[in-house]
Amino acid sequence: MPRLTARERREAYQREYAFQKKHGKSFFPHAVFHDTIVSLIVVALIMGMAVLWYAQFGPVPEIADAAREGGILGPAYEGKADPGVLRYDPRPEWYFFFLFELLRIFKTPELLIVGSVIIPTIWMVLLIGWPFIDRNPDRRLSRRPVALAVGVMVPIVLLTLTFYGAKAPGAVGEASTAPGAAAFANGACSTCHTFADAGTAGNVGPSLTANAVDYETALNLITNGKGGMPAFSAQYNEDQISCLAGYVATHSGAAAGKEGPEAATAAETYPASCEKAGGEFAGTAAAG
Amino acid sequence: MSTLLPPPGEIAKMPVDWVEERSGLITFGKFMLFRNVPKDISWLQTLGSALITVFILQVTTGILLAMYYQPDPDTAWMTIKFITDEATLGWLVRGMHKWGSSVMVVLLFLHMGRTFLFGAYKYPREMTWITGAIIFILVMGMSFTGYLLVFDERAYWATIVGVNINGTAPILGPALSWILMVGPEISTHTLSRFYALHMLVIPSILGGLIALHMLLVVRLGVTSPPWSRMQVTESDV
Repeated sequence: MPRLTARERREAYQREYAFQKKHGKSFFPHAVFHDTIVSLIVVALIMGMAVLWYAQFGPVPEIADAAREGGILGPAYEGKADPGVLRYDPRPEWYFFFLFELLRIFKTPELLIVGSVIIPTIWMVLLIGWPFIDRNPDRRLSRRPVALAVGVMVPIVLLTLTFYGAKAPGAVGEASTAPGAAAFANGACSTCHTFADAGTAGNVGPSLTANAVDYETALNLITNGKGGMPAFSAQYNEDQISCLAGYVATHSGAAAGKEGPEAATAAETYPASCEKAGGEFAGTAAAG
Repeated sequence: MSTLLPPPGEIAKMPVDWVEERSGLITFGKFMLFRNVPKDISWLQTLGSALITVFILQVTTGILLAMYYQPDPDTAWMTIKFITDEATLGWLVRGMHKWGSSVMVVLLFLHMGRTFLFGAYKYPREMTWITGAIIFILVMGMSFTGYLLVFDERAYWATIVGVNINGTAPILGPALSWILMVGPEISTHTLSRFYALHMLVIPSILGGLIALHMLLVVRLGVTSPPWSRMQVTESDV
């Protein structure tokens, strides 16, 4: 279809509008009939999901603040939020999984902003501004190759990101005997970070197997948080943070074929801080 | 005085006439119901009305939940537990609100896909698309603010990570995080702020935009499918 002038475009629309009003059918009862059937199906679907969710609930927990288990649609509720609890799963609602996966792709601190801000902003601008980008006046798909390509690609990309975002972190291996490894594996760190030495496979934060982190950086990140990473100064005491930072500085970057870059700096406090912290921080090697 | 009372049929019509004379609402209602839409509109064009149904469902179940819920970190989780475990049909109300949000997002995608397929965003319907796109983004905002309200472990940590991610944006990011959380971490004020956004601020804007979206659809006319065989002839002009 050739490009139309504004006036031709308006007249073409007015012709079409007059035609549809003249030869169309009444909204009630024709369209209302179809609308009602689909709305009823949708409401039945929502009620069905609520019933299925409810049908698989476990017994009401006897322990205060505990979770009530569920089936394939998830638990009735998880345990009461407790800032002191270190095992957690920072997983969003499923329709944010594509964003979650973007963050996984751009998870190094320098690139994080690409996944967290730049791509979502571009996406929102394209979404809102789409009528001004696609200026082709034709509505038949056979005459809209570019729009058709976009219309096929966008759902594929979103579904792929959602699929990978939904997949649980990979299999968890054995933690090494190094001091701090067990605390890393059993604590909050393991939820987000992949770290071969601790046997963890988290998908949210940077891999510590692939990236070497020095002691000062690790200490600062664990204490204050950065980007998506929460601050853990409320959950861990100074010795425990120092132990974890020392452990990360000494063993991270293994995939890059090197020990932690500042293993020497860390050696002043590590593994001494782990023994001071005690418990699972001490490590099986030190204890044995 | 035998003509003191008009016949019963006339009496029944009186309140209708009273309203019509003062507001024109009856004429408006008749126009909405009996306006003509294209003869060949299809089942694909029922998704918008299904979305309105789900929106009404979310508002209704949301109001019922608000009657029991307390946006306080100490009691929020307990009230959710009460609604789910003890309140009569509380599980159904909460379940429908929870799963209604998922269904709403799926329907939004399908509705948007249908509009895209039909090229229904083209002149003169650009503004209808823009209001729809903003509605879509606001619905995602509803989800984000609603997720924290359950105040279980997942809600708590997912929100911290989500707000921290907001915080990575240059300049505005840290300020936005601070505004959302009302300080450096989740507190009593965070929860009541999310609650206010979730049940007052965003739904009001959403309701207004939905009304505008529908007004535009009625004003510009429903788009017939692009494969429509009906041709405009000279006699129609």
